[in-house]
Amino acid sequence: MKTIAVDLDDTLNDFTQTLETAQFQYDPAYNITQETFQKYLAMVRRRESDGNELLSTEYSYFAYKIHIECYRMTQARPGAAEFMQWLRNDGWRIVILTHRDLRRSNDVTRAWLRENGMPFDYLFLALNKLEFCKAWKVRCLVDDHLLSLAPRDDSYDVEVFYPIMSKHEGFPAQRGRGFRNFDELKQWIPNQDC
Amino acid sequence: MLKEFYRGLPKDRAKVETYEHGFEYLERMLAGGAALEYGEMAAAGLLHKYKFSNMPEEQMDEFMNAHIAKACNLCLYFGQVENSLFCFNLDNNHKTNNMVAIPEMTLVVELLREILTGAGCEALVIASGRGYHLWCRLEAAVENERLYQFMVHSMAKALLGLHKQGFDHNKIKANFYPDPRARDVVSLRLFGSLHVKNKVFSQVLTREGLQGEEESWGAFEKYLGGKTISVEGFEKAVELVGR
Repeated sequence: MKTIAVDLDDTLNDFTQTLETAQFQYDPAYNITQETFQKYLAMVRRRESDGNELLSTEYSYFAYKIHIECYRMTQARPGAAEFMQWLRNDGWRIVILTHRDLRRSNDVTRAWLRENGMPFDYLFLALNKLEFCKAWKVRCLVDDHLLSLAPRDDSYDVEVFYPIMSKHEGFPAQRGRGFRNFDELKQWIPNQDC
Repeated sequence: MLKEFYRGLPKDRAKVETYEHGFEYLERMLAGGAALEYGEMAAAGLLHKYKFSNMPEEQMDEFMNAHIAKACNLCLYFGQVENSLFCFNLDNNHKTNNMVAIPEMTLVVELLREILTGAGCEALVIASGRGYHLWCRLEAAVENERLYQFMVHSMAKALLGLHKQGFDHNKIKANFYPDPRARDVVSLRLFGSLHVKNKVFSQVLTREGLQGEEESWGAFEKYLGGKTISVEGFEKAVELVGR
């Protein structure tokens, strides 16, 4: 069966834009002062670490809560739902392949996909998506992440398609084909497995 | 023994840690009606984790057998309303190098063990990679919020003891199961597992120290046979710890 893996954040939605620009309301349930809330929020938007040597901290918990909020608020990219439905109708097995911590975001992720009309078969977390594709013999990957574009190792028999974003400017993509919209991408998706 | 010890936990869902992967494997696992909530491939190597729901009982039995044979690790979720088991999950809270033994961990486990024993709730302490799981088994189910409050109070006392002896309590990460704030999200490996990172058997920690595999099964059996806490005993412990 032909199988395709599709990333979620910044591929099917506008996660980064949401994180950087959305309005987040202060809530006493955060258990921090308004001042700390503003400071932490600015840090989360800049993707900064708190420099703490500890794993679980006040800031790490706050960052997690903001990310969950973003997962709810993010908007689908134009044409993304139609692309996913087109894949389904064309007989593809669809794997949503993400960096999200699905242990804590499984429900919100599924709800968003459902509400935005994006069909899929399986939901997977993998930090190295090329390794996942290799292990699962998936030969088509749609993903914006630079890590998926870098290696030239021929043992990765994966064709990568990525939505062109500012972060890709000047990046010497050694694999992958950038697309400007999903209609363009549709033309490149083969009839058979990649 | 495993089935008896964990008897109160839901049997229709589980997380399975295994090196098995691929669509053929996955579709075989789902053939009996189970659903895959999500899967995960570890950052290094081919270790996979799968959260299954709607599992038929026979499939849970198969996973349990595979767990005993060390072909996979089986992790169970807690009931969403009430439970007849509760567990403290203590981890080394460092971002890096969090598999090393730290003095804070050694001390806090014994402090917590003493608090629980003093309250009449003896715990079975099991080593787990970055720290320990302290399991307490009840004769009957108790509401989650009540279990959670008891665990929070007990842990606060243990961390206070740590602080009083000049140690930093922030170096310990404590999670409580069941946690009413995170229903059906977190699971715990059953006794008898090999830790996914260090491949070490889930040894029982008695007052004499960490036990070998066979002795750990013996300690597990002994706990199961005589340390289950009555509901009246638990209520008394709530009162004692809350003072």
